[in-house]
Amino acid sequence: MNSVRLWYKKSGLAIYTSHLDMNRCFTRAVRMAGIPLWYTEGFNPHPYLNFLLPLPLGTGAEKDPIDIRITEDISFDEIKSRLNAVLPGGIEIVAVTEPAIKVSEVAKAGYEIILEFLTPEEACAFAAGALAVIESGELNAEKRSKRGIKTVNLCSFVSSFDASSEGGRVKIKAVISAGPAENLNAALLADSLLKEFGASAEKTEITRTEIFTADGKIFI
Amino acid sequence: MYPEKLEKFLLKVQKPGRYTGGELNSVIKDKREVDIRYAFCFPDTYEIGMSHLGMKILYALVNAREDAWCERVFAPDTDMEAVMRENDIPLYALESGEAIKDFDIIGFTLQYELCYTNVLNMLDLAGIPVRSENRESLTPLIIAGGTCVCNPEPMADFFDITLPGDGEEVTNELIDLLKEFKKQGKGKKEFLEAAAQIPGVYVPSLYKVEYNDDCTVKSVTPTCGAPEKVVKRNVKNLDTMFAPETFVVPFIETVFDRTTVEIFRGCIRGCRFCQAGFLSRPLREKSPETVFSQCKAICDSTGYDEISLCSLSTSDYKGLEKLLGTLIPWGDDNKINVALPSLRIDNFPKDLMEKLNTVRRSGLTFAPEAGTQRLRDVINKNVYEKDILSTCAQAFAGGWTAVKLYFMIGLPTETNEDIEGIARLAQAVVDEFYHMENKPKGKGVSVSVSLASLVPKPFTPFQWEPQDKPDVLTEKQDFLVSCVRTRKVNISRHVPWTSFLEGVFARGDRRLCSVIETAWRSGCRMDSWEEHLDREKWNAAFEQCGIDPFFYTARARSFDEVLPWDHMDYGVTKKFLQRENEKAHRGETTQSCREKCSGCGAARLNGGECNELCAAVV
Repeated sequence: MNSVRLWYKKSGLAIYTSHLDMNRCFTRAVRMAGIPLWYTEGFNPHPYLNFLLPLPLGTGAEKDPIDIRITEDISFDEIKSRLNAVLPGGIEIVAVTEPAIKVSEVAKAGYEIILEFLTPEEACAFAAGALAVIESGELNAEKRSKRGIKTVNLCSFVSSFDASSEGGRVKIKAVISAGPAENLNAALLADSLLKEFGASAEKTEITRTEIFTADGKIFI
Repeated sequence: MYPEKLEKFLLKVQKPGRYTGGELNSVIKDKREVDIRYAFCFPDTYEIGMSHLGMKILYALVNAREDAWCERVFAPDTDMEAVMRENDIPLYALESGEAIKDFDIIGFTLQYELCYTNVLNMLDLAGIPVRSENRESLTPLIIAGGTCVCNPEPMADFFDITLPGDGEEVTNELIDLLKEFKKQGKGKKEFLEAAAQIPGVYVPSLYKVEYNDDCTVKSVTPTCGAPEKVVKRNVKNLDTMFAPETFVVPFIETVFDRTTVEIFRGCIRGCRFCQAGFLSRPLREKSPETVFSQCKAICDSTGYDEISLCSLSTSDYKGLEKLLGTLIPWGDDNKINVALPSLRIDNFPKDLMEKLNTVRRSGLTFAPEAGTQRLRDVINKNVYEKDILSTCAQAFAGGWTAVKLYFMIGLPTETNEDIEGIARLAQAVVDEFYHMENKPKGKGVSVSVSLASLVPKPFTPFQWEPQDKPDVLTEKQDFLVSCVRTRKVNISRHVPWTSFLEGVFARGDRRLCSVIETAWRSGCRMDSWEEHLDREKWNAAFEQCGIDPFFYTARARSFDEVLPWDHMDYGVTKKFLQRENEKAHRGETTQSCREKCSGCGAARLNGGECNELCAAVV
């Protein structure tokens, strides 16, 4: 039995697929691709498929990891091409690797947030304002967790933040907490920043670009 | 694909995956290369519609043609409807994202009566006038099929055409004709008159309905050469019949998230309340070889890990043993679970139960339907208490601890004793568990009783029967609850008012068209969803149209009354249904077709042939 890490890209229509539905989608895809997946041995055997960092509905990903286990040897290239032949549009395997770092070391993730405004002036003002707010170190928002809703300072989740505008578009690059211990939804950050200025974007696009360990190494 | 305008609203509605399209196996064609664009509309939400086998069949069938492109359309939920209306986004098809008002055929499937307002709402969202008479051009042609079109009259003013019976053949014939008329630039009236000549095509506007002073139907007269009786379509050979080898696989979870393969049509049983059993006669079986190869093909192309065999009574399938002999080992090897719904309690063999236990265990559900033997004889259910108890005992011994039992109330001749009988039978099942010698330690039993209300339907022996009023049904439900003495039995009940409205439309006539339109205009839709069903608006609509809904439900009809659906011919004769009704009132049962032919008349649709007749002779 070998552990294999699949890296997938999620874009276009697929961003409207929730995490649970992604799970079902991949389960079907590996079956169709004829990849000899390892099944759990419990009362109700199901394929072992672990999305390391579930994506919220509406957020895309450049390269997100899923761990699987296979029972027969099969080349990484073969896994990639067979899966891509059966995955629906918007979901694509971009790489297949051996897992090099443990899941428990995931601590941060980088996001690209694109906000479109009606006018360049609005975009420019928002970008400058957003930078200033994060710089100030205080952006309070209501954050939902399993223990209920509470107000937290989002800045404490932000490791790095940059915002720039071009025409009516604002592009934010942010590295924020991710993982089971401490996690921030990038959409909440974007919405809170908009709310801070009473602004509203015509269109919001959020993509997770990479995942990091606590000491800033890229997760592989 | 969805219209671009919609993008910024998608994350603001519940489950946006319902509105995006782009699923695996969805069919994209070049619209310039097809002659006919077909919008297949399911008048309920995506999760329900995507579970419907008929849609999967017709979608694949139309798309198998090079000259036609079939796309899917579902009723948007209320939050999405608001977004569409506020932003002038017309109803679109999921494949192309294009507005359906420019399509050639808009086909609805009517699976239950409470979706009627959704049909009107979808037409309106598409920007299409709801009434047939207000649509002058040839296209879009608005058609409907499905169970409910056996009595199309309450929707007669809205549809141009309805198609009773099997859709596999007539759909292609209709497309061929429309393609020709479109090419020749002919008009809608000419087309409808020509279409009415195709067997199994009903054009409501070509029939004139007259009423008696007491509001019953006096006569239904065909005009313009339309046939006096519209005979439902019947596909003779299921092995050569078109069957899909692939399904669209939804991104989001649907009600039945699995593959479904049909094993036969028709039913040998003749339970007197069951409309599906009579509408789908005569019995036609697929061979186990065909079923197996279709199961394999669909699992290969969808990746699903569960197959459900579909029919009205799985255990009556003659090829079941042979099929499971190949299907189950194949399922084990490929980790595919085989589900057998619609099993009868009286022929559920033990080894079948063991076989089913191998991959994943699903729940056990049986339908005694009535609480006493007397009443089960009246409805011709032909199951006995000893069968029920021994099958449950077998199931408990096999490790099951939960059983679901389906019952109905409001059956003809029903008394309090029959209702009490339901509680008694459920208790007996509980007792069966505790009498078991090796019962598992620390485990209790749970018996769920699901309580439906009889809605007398056309083409059943009960089509003449009065239906209990909602308050009577509520009293009966309360009485049953008061009879239950144990917490091991829990009762879930249907909303009586829902059954009432269903009953009105099931046996309604054309005068109800205006009620449906009025109710819809006042805001009624999604009536099958309890949270949306608005009784006050419906009552107001009946009142405004001067129609007493109880005329359709609470009244006993005489055998010589002209029924609004008498000009539809589903094979089974009115004489046969009358005979069965009389036997019901005498408490006499009728044997299954396999034991003895009861002369229902459906064999004539098959050129006089019936599976069961042949078997009896040989």
